[in-house]
Amino acid sequence: MESKRKWTKVFLYFLLALILLYLIFPFIWAISSSLKSDNQLIMTPATLLPRDPTTGEVSFYWGNFITVFNNNVFVNGLKNSAIVSVSTTLLALIIGAFAAFALGKLRFKGRTAMLYLVLSITMFPQISVLTGLYSVIRNIGVDVMTGMILSYMLFTLPFTVWVMSSFFKGLPDALLEAASIDGASFFQSFYLVLLPLTLPAIVTTGLLAFIAAWNEYLFALTFTSLKQSDRTVPVAIAMFSGQSAHQEPFGAIMAASIIVTVPLLILVFIMQKKIIGGLTAGAVKE
Amino acid sequence: MANFVWDVGMNSTNKSEVRTAWTLLLPAIVIFALIAFYPLVSVFYYSLTDKKFASDKPTEFIGLDNYSMMLSMEFYEIPPQKDDAGKVKLDENGDTLYEDPIDILPMDPVAYWEMYTFNIFGKRYTLAATDPEFLISIKDTVIFSVLAVALELIIGMAFALTLNSHFKGRGVMRMALLVPWAIPTVVSTKMWAWMFSSQGYGLFNTVAYYLGLSDHQIAFLVTPDWQLPIMVVIDVWKTMPFMALMLLAGLQTIPSDYYEAASIDGASKVRQFFNITLPLLKPAIVVALVFRMLDSLRVFDLFQVLFGSKFFSMSSYTYYKLIEGKEMGYSSACSVVIFIAILIFSLFFIRVLGREQINGK
Repeated sequence: MESKRKWTKVFLYFLLALILLYLIFPFIWAISSSLKSDNQLIMTPATLLPRDPTTGEVSFYWGNFITVFNNNVFVNGLKNSAIVSVSTTLLALIIGAFAAFALGKLRFKGRTAMLYLVLSITMFPQISVLTGLYSVIRNIGVDVMTGMILSYMLFTLPFTVWVMSSFFKGLPDALLEAASIDGASFFQSFYLVLLPLTLPAIVTTGLLAFIAAWNEYLFALTFTSLKQSDRTVPVAIAMFSGQSAHQEPFGAIMAASIIVTVPLLILVFIMQKKIIGGLTAGAVKE
Repeated sequence: MANFVWDVGMNSTNKSEVRTAWTLLLPAIVIFALIAFYPLVSVFYYSLTDKKFASDKPTEFIGLDNYSMMLSMEFYEIPPQKDDAGKVKLDENGDTLYEDPIDILPMDPVAYWEMYTFNIFGKRYTLAATDPEFLISIKDTVIFSVLAVALELIIGMAFALTLNSHFKGRGVMRMALLVPWAIPTVVSTKMWAWMFSSQGYGLFNTVAYYLGLSDHQIAFLVTPDWQLPIMVVIDVWKTMPFMALMLLAGLQTIPSDYYEAASIDGASKVRQFFNITLPLLKPAIVVALVFRMLDSLRVFDLFQVLFGSKFFSMSSYTYYKLIEGKEMGYSSACSVVIFIAILIFSLFFIRVLGREQINGK
């Protein structure tokens, strides 16, 4: 019995190791490739650690990172992505918190209909409004950056409203009643009493909105075809090309990928509990 | 559950409450009107026109022409080749030689192009369409979605069950699950494209070399048979963690005494899975499946980054018609078809989900 349990444990850890390898190996391979020079990249058989093609010694090459940081499109893309993602997050949080408070804590006709509307926009295929949004930006000449920020509300706002309204709903009504007895208006009780209490939900939804905006590609690719200097980082990486048209510069692409992903991963690791809570909000019924 | 507040003695504030509610909702409503409602209506309208960007031709209202162009399909019988004497030509194996479908299919008023050709009852037929690329993109997107989501469910379930057992380092495993999820799809696609490099130095070709599986390089991304499976592999890696986390959250709500009671009664682990875990996990599974399926049917990044205009999803086809073809009217019609398809799918699932919840009570 004792030895059977021991073997079960061994098997479990073996499975866990396999899962871990599957999940993070592509990322490790990308890091390793980003530290290889062009000659090291085309060594056969490929090596896990960057090695010198002739001596076989481990040798790291930093040139890809230098190339990437000297690439204007990429550096500009980082800046654009930061502006777009931060603006999207703030806008979604502010407007979302207003709407969520109304839907979570106030009583009015049409509340259920509004909740359904928000939920249905969550399922909205972005491609179905792409042509419409594109023609507005193209014909009216909306600033491309503004166009991206506004259109990113399509997938950040419904989610923010949805998660935050259930959070507001969970807060005790006694708080609001007390505030109302003290003569506070709804609006005052909203930002003086409820908002500070919902800080955890704000952090979670804000982070998810930021990641969604940072990673967005379809709208960014389409809209920035009108103004290339507004390209965000995913578009820049997708269009990364080297000196020759035939050979994709994978070393530099991997370096750019690492630069874009590492800050995101650090953020995610610090906030992992909150993120998992936010992501799985729909799976478990309260 | 509707949770109405202000139930007690709040009638006097009711009016101002309603006004406050709509004031707070106003910004969100304006934004949704601007970025969802208005564009959607304009897309429906443009889908009935032949609008093109950067064209001098005035836009005309053409009714449902775009839709019939997109969706028209017909079978054509392909006659055998005949010699001057009117006898059917045979090849060296004695098989009938047929005409080339391209010579048989009509060109006027609209051209039909070959999609599939097959033999049945000693005759040859061709399924032809006016826009085979769009129809094929629908077929490929659906196959891709079904395969990817099914695999995700199976692997995600295996992961969730493993992660739900007791072991040291659960935090590490949960962090690892978030790695593929957090990486931008463009980046993960590039990473996998590099691993699937057709050259000998690609990771999978290196693995194949070490395993002695192939003495030659496999051109993963170029060989048509490999393309769809590779996209499924990449998509499963990227999105399976979401599924696993949803299922894990569901698993953790199942009380452990259920399993203890079952083990005392002598039920095997397998029986416990099918009789306890699966039924109790069903709501979480359904929600995860719906989310993932809706997401998968609108796939764009993966197809566009990996294959550009060589292999379309429904979304990437629409994108290329708009940006490269500048065909505003036609791509709007594609958008409408995608919208309606996803709408039908959503309604169907909401009904199933609703029935599920009613029966569950």
